[in-house]
Amino acid sequence: MIKKILNLHEVLTCAVLVLAVTWLSGFSPGGAWAADNKAGTTIEELTPSMSYAEYHKRYEAYYGDTTARMAEEGNPADFLLDDGKDLANKVEGSKGKSCASCHGKDALKLKGAATTYPRYDAKLSGIMTFALQINTCRQKQMGAKPLKYESYDQLALTMYIKSLSNGMPIKVSIAGPAQSFFEKGKIAYYKRQGQLNFSCAICHVQYAGYKARSNLISNNKHHADHWPSYRLKWGKTGSLQRRFRGCLKNMRAKRPPQQSEILRNMELYLTYINNGDLIQVPGMRM
Amino acid sequence: MAMDRGKGRGKAGLWAAAAVIVFMIAALPLSAQAGNAKKGEKIAKTRKLGNCVACHYLPGVESPGNIGPNLVESMQEYTMADRKEVVQWIRDARKFNPGTIMPPFGTNKILTPEQIDDLVTYLYTLKK
Ligand code: HEC
Ligand code: HEC
Repeated sequence: MIKKILNLHEVLTCAVLVLAVTWLSGFSPGGAWAADNKAGTTIEELTPSMSYAEYHKRYEAYYGDTTARMAEEGNPADFLLDDGKDLANKVEGSKGKSCASCHGKDALKLKGAATTYPRYDAKLSGIMTFALQINTCRQKQMGAKPLKYESYDQLALTMYIKSLSNGMPIKVSIAGPAQSFFEKGKIAYYKRQGQLNFSCAICHVQYAGYKARSNLISNNKHHADHWPSYRLKWGKTGSLQRRFRGCLKNMRAKRPPQQSEILRNMELYLTYINNGDLIQVPGMRM
Repeated sequence: MAMDRGKGRGKAGLWAAAAVIVFMIAALPLSAQAGNAKKGEKIAKTRKLGNCVACHYLPGVESPGNIGPNLVESMQEYTMADRKEVVQWIRDARKFNPGTIMPPFGTNKILTPEQIDDLVTYLYTLKK
């Protein structure tokens, strides 16, 4: 209940800001940071602390293959896959349809679909993430209710459909209208924020491979290829945007709601710089 | 005579005042060093307070981070005359390095000036 009130509060704050900013600048709505987040703002590029290979060496020296081995022995998130498949075949909503009605049995025609998300969507005039696309289909094509982000069913369905692209390289485009959203995502990723004055990039670019207390800070290559993932610290499966919000909390910064414009732009930025990485869901992390 | 005595008292008073001023000046760095090293150590090592060990080595802490320099080594380079500089590092390190990752503990009100004072007093106990 408290969570719900908080979310409502965030949504309202966001809505007011979005309206104000849209009115002031004629700019497309962008959540709580929209005002500082215009495309065209210059970014101070940071020098990566080390190559990915060197980072990976440090990772193996520090953690060994603990999570990889655990995942092989049985990733708890694997349980969601079967339920996700059932959901893909389940008829719901006013139009009497399931995902399978349009995308074939077990939605198998969606093999490869996840590789091009997030991407620009004209109707949205913004960035469509894979999770938002699935909910949009439910609403528009099926006349069904959107699944609540981070709920079991939402994660299960998204994970299952995404798993159909396992082993395929990410190939996200930022051509055309996507470009400005990509830039805004990058600005957000490099922007100093929160009481601790960190940015995502200062940790995941400039200090990747160093330890914040006992946590090895990861290089942002391979950040976007394994979500939803099971995380030991959560004891639960979660999404990339949940992880974003976790780091934002550690930064003592504002946490825009899931699928808000700013987080979708950031997801586009991060996924684009992971182009070529092979999708592998579910992942497993510390 | 009275004049003389008066003059004498005046002189003594002047000397006394001078002595007090000299003492106060001498004591100034001392009073600026007020601060509780024990409290400072707790602030440095507590996650919700300074959490300096997220980034810096400090003695007696399990798995400190390695983002910033080892503060025992750093403190060997500072003398008591540099106290203000050490305070400034913690208050807002951007003065020395605009692109620093170190949080501006004073400017962003993560710690109070008293807490920063305690911290610096603690850091000076690391000098060998
Ligand atoms: C002070 C350091 C710090 C900052 C700032 C920071 N992170 Fe992190 N981040 C970490 C650490 C430590 C981890 C845990 C180790 C890991 O899995 O990468 C992590 C993990 C992650 C992961 C999961 C990586 C994986 O492979 O599963 C993502 C994604 C991520 N961060 C994104 C962000 C974003 C986006 C921001 C800014 C909004 C951000 N981080 C800010 C330190 C930081
Ligand atoms: C997120 C990382 C981080 C945190 C947290 C942090 N520091 Fe730092 N600190 C650094 C880095 C990195 C440097 C090196 C200079 C630079 O890069 O700006 C530094 C430099 C210093 C210096 C100067 C050292 C020298 O060699 O001259 C002092 C003193 C210092 N830090 C004290 C502290 C104290 C006390 C705290 C806690 C209240 C703290 N730091 C918290 C990252 C951090």
